[in-house]
Amino acid sequence: MRTTTSYATSVRHALTESVGLAGRTAIEVGSGRTGPGAAGDAVLRIDGLCARYGKAGDFVLKNIDLEVGADDFVAIIGPSGAGKSTLIRCINRLVEPVAGEILLKGTNLTALSQRQLRRHRRRMGMIFQEFNLVERMSVMDNVLSGRLGYVGVARSLFKLFPRADIEAALDILEKVGLGEFVDKRADQLSGGQRQRVGIARALIQDPEILLVDEPTSSLDPKIARDVMTLIRDMSRDLGVPVLCNIHDLQLALEFADRVVGVQGGEKMFEGRASELDRRALHSIYAGEVL
Amino acid sequence: MAAARGSSEGVRRSDAIVARRRRDRMRRYGLYLLAFVILAWVFHSTVVEATDWARIGSLGSVLETLGRFLPPDLSLAPQLVQPMIETFMMALLGTLLGAFLSVPVIWLGAYNIAPFAPVSYAIGRGLMTVSRSVHELVWALIFVAAVGLGALPGILAVAFRSIGFIAKITAEAIENIDRRSLEAIYAAGGNRLQVLRYAVMPQVLPTFTSVVIFEWDINIRRASIMGLVGAGGLGLTFYRQMAMFNYAGVTSVIVAILVLIGIGEVVSYLLRRRMI
Repeated sequence: MRTTTSYATSVRHALTESVGLAGRTAIEVGSGRTGPGAAGDAVLRIDGLCARYGKAGDFVLKNIDLEVGADDFVAIIGPSGAGKSTLIRCINRLVEPVAGEILLKGTNLTALSQRQLRRHRRRMGMIFQEFNLVERMSVMDNVLSGRLGYVGVARSLFKLFPRADIEAALDILEKVGLGEFVDKRADQLSGGQRQRVGIARALIQDPEILLVDEPTSSLDPKIARDVMTLIRDMSRDLGVPVLCNIHDLQLALEFADRVVGVQGGEKMFEGRASELDRRALHSIYAGEVL
Repeated sequence: MAAARGSSEGVRRSDAIVARRRRDRMRRYGLYLLAFVILAWVFHSTVVEATDWARIGSLGSVLETLGRFLPPDLSLAPQLVQPMIETFMMALLGTLLGAFLSVPVIWLGAYNIAPFAPVSYAIGRGLMTVSRSVHELVWALIFVAAVGLGALPGILAVAFRSIGFIAKITAEAIENIDRRSLEAIYAAGGNRLQVLRYAVMPQVLPTFTSVVIFEWDINIRRASIMGLVGAGGLGLTFYRQMAMFNYAGVTSVIVAILVLIGIGEVVSYLLRRRMI
């Protein structure tokens, strides 16, 4: 259940507050009204997450707590190098966290062995900044590669996907507007089309959460908005919550219902998009914007 | 800049530069001189001293001997067809076998996908070096000793000689692969084997195929001399003509080899163009 009944109004509200009339409603950073969405029980719960690259490096993430509810579209905002990507990638352990717990509907992902991890990774669909498609493979094969966590290894080596998977792929490709590009090779597509393939690949996993890492950075503003709209609409249709890194503040406020601000590896803000005022932005961006 | 700061400092700097350039130049000419002396010594000891000049005789007799190779002995033509086909097939089968055998070597020797990286990498790279540093005729001698005369040792020799190049180029292509798609397969829950199949293979298959075609082209040349050590093909005919002092026949065999290589060039060109 979404509490924002009039979505457009709240977006406009948020924008005027953050850009124009900030300060009028000063809300404490990390105030009490920061829990997950209305549904309450969290799909993803992160406790005390710490990460660093190398054994002696500085911590990139310092004690991050975070919850994503069943209906949430959470945007993680913050300057470059704040640790946004690391945070997302710790969740499916493309980066191994140093400390902390990550619970996906009760499964502690940080405690899994490599073998178990593979089975649980399929529960999380990931969308990448640079699409990360296999350029020389067809759109269909790229989308089907999202099913690799389900298909037996021997079958997958010969690309023997079940008919149901192929039908699901066709269905999703139709929904993301690529119904006519099924047999094209990925490297023949435009940037926006490639990201749609990326979205389809994440969705065909039948994920319980979408992890989205800067989905629009490689796209122009118009296409970026289209892609964000697609992610939001598809996730709503399928009832999948979204955790999305995005450095574009305007898009974050427009699409997310909750915002987490990260700076220097620390969580500086968590709250509704409408609560993000100038003070909060100042703490996230350390005065670098506005 | 230096001049602007003060003429005395500028002069000092330019002096230093001029002196360094002179020093570099002297060193370079010194090296040229050293290289020439070494070359002269090598030429003297290997050619001037080691050649039996008396046996060569006059320039006229050299030309006369060379003349015996011409014109080609056309009566030999019917006997060349079968060895030509054999040579062609030896190159083809040898290349295919070599390509097949190079797959595990590639797996061991590409650092980013190797199973136990430091150890297997050394093994993989070692195998590549062995394959390439042993001459094809030496490989042929080894396999003639192992499996006897005929086309089979030739095929094996061509295959083993091919592994190194195919594996080296492909392994390097794998090491330069775009890592982002690998990540996507892992993120979807794929294991290492699936990553190889879905992210690595599609990226390096074009390189692998074009290297194999190129190697086949070279292998026609290699296969045509295999017979010198008893491993079948045109080389065997060549060896027999030589043994019978039928120099015109030798020329015929060389022409046949040229024809075969020409065919190989054309076919590999067409194959490669189709691929791209």
